[in-house]
Amino acid sequence: MFGPLQAQVVIIAHKDVPVEQLTQPQLLDFYTGDIKRWKNKDPVVVFTLKPKTALQDSFFYLLGKTSSRMKSIWMKNILSGEGDPPESLISESAVLQKVATTPGAIGFVSQDSTNNAVKTLMINKGKTWPLF
Amino acid sequence: MLSLRKRQNGVIRYYILLLFSLLYISSPAQAQFGESDLRIFGYFQTLFHYQNQDLPKRKLSSFSLQQLNLFMQKDLAQNWRAFINIEGVNTFNSKRNWGSLRFEEAWARYRSGVKFNLKVGLQIPTFNHFNEIKNRTPLLPYAIRPLVYETSFEEIISVEEYVPTRAFVQAYGFLPHNNFKLDYALYIGNSPNINDLKDNGQTGIDTTASLLVGGRIGIRFLGLKAGVSTTRQNIDFFDFAANIYGGSENLYEDVIQTRLGADFSLDLRRLYLEGEYISVSYEEINATANIDKDFYYGTLGYDLTEHALIYGTYWHTGEEFQIITFTVDVFSAGLSYSLNDRTKLKAQYARVKIREELKVQLGTTLPRVDRSKFHYLGAALSIFF
Repeated sequence: MFGPLQAQVVIIAHKDVPVEQLTQPQLLDFYTGDIKRWKNKDPVVVFTLKPKTALQDSFFYLLGKTSSRMKSIWMKNILSGEGDPPESLISESAVLQKVATTPGAIGFVSQDSTNNAVKTLMINKGKTWPLF
Repeated sequence: MLSLRKRQNGVIRYYILLLFSLLYISSPAQAQFGESDLRIFGYFQTLFHYQNQDLPKRKLSSFSLQQLNLFMQKDLAQNWRAFINIEGVNTFNSKRNWGSLRFEEAWARYRSGVKFNLKVGLQIPTFNHFNEIKNRTPLLPYAIRPLVYETSFEEIISVEEYVPTRAFVQAYGFLPHNNFKLDYALYIGNSPNINDLKDNGQTGIDTTASLLVGGRIGIRFLGLKAGVSTTRQNIDFFDFAANIYGGSENLYEDVIQTRLGADFSLDLRRLYLEGEYISVSYEEINATANIDKDFYYGTLGYDLTEHALIYGTYWHTGEEFQIITFTVDVFSAGLSYSLNDRTKLKAQYARVKIREELKVQLGTTLPRVDRSKFHYLGAALSIFF
């Protein structure tokens, strides 16, 4: 769990995702679109929250970016034809439902919202995992 | 027995049913092979600028549609994407001969993975950090971009001399290692000797046998990005160089031009710092023909809030001619404010100093050094649709 005290964010993934932990740089790579596939070659499907909330701020804090900087990265991907931004969902329950039913999916919710339909990923700093 | 009209209606209903059946069958097949719908999107930037020149005294102010870009994108199959970018600048109007409209990009890309991508077609080559995004106005806080990247100034500054503008085959990607990424890009394209005269045959084609060759290697580590770039191409200066510098016209065919670039950017959450250096040099033809030039800029920016960003920036160009050294120095500062994810307001002030220095004294009336300066205020609205 990471983030300012206002919101404790947890990273969730579809149960078939082939990892139990990620480093912070790897998580950033998924959300910037630099890494698009898991080690098993399945596509990484990334979800984010649409409304600006303390949870969203905590997540961007975890990534080491401001929300405006992440939006700029996503827009650059769109305008260069290099990728698409994460799908934005209107609520944490929508994120949970989408991640649980989309192979290769990853998202974030608050600690109190997660359930057994998804897997919770540990986030480590400094260690890498051979994902590619 | 059915009337003719009823039989015709029956045939029409049959073909409509067949058409919908085919669409129903083909849609899952399209999805299976990664084909997507055609996406159309774009942006434009409207600019108001005011200029107050001290030497000589002159004022001007104007609105303009600085830039409009229309994009079309379609995933053709898994790992294949097509992308088109049509760009108009400076309130394009063909009747009144304002601005320009052009195909800026039209390419197909094959993506093998992060380590290898191949892009074929008209494209903006990778050179330093800024070249690829110079015309992506929604991304930029600037109303007016660093000089050699400001396409609306291309009638004043030879943008195409400083940076490569058209490549046609590019391989690129990055090699990951722990938290480091080693970026690379290699490309070929046209030399700048493009035929613009209809009387000389097909326009828009490279009239030389040489090609632009270039590339960039760089490194990314967390918020740090740095790299070096280079291009090489042969330029035919035709007779105008011979007229200026003397000698046979043959001396100025196939002159090797080399660009070297270096870029650096650091993203520290709210604070960012970026800078570039570009050197353009030509092989020595004779002692007097020196037309090398260089450019550098540095920008420091800070996110005041999620919506507001302030920045300060400095730009310098230096050009050598036979008897003149020409330099432009710009100090600029500005603010950009995002009203929402698609709308950005920009305000910018720049103080521009132009200096022309004669390398030799010509007579007694011409000054050795001529200076002019002006103040520039710009306000822009950038819309992404």
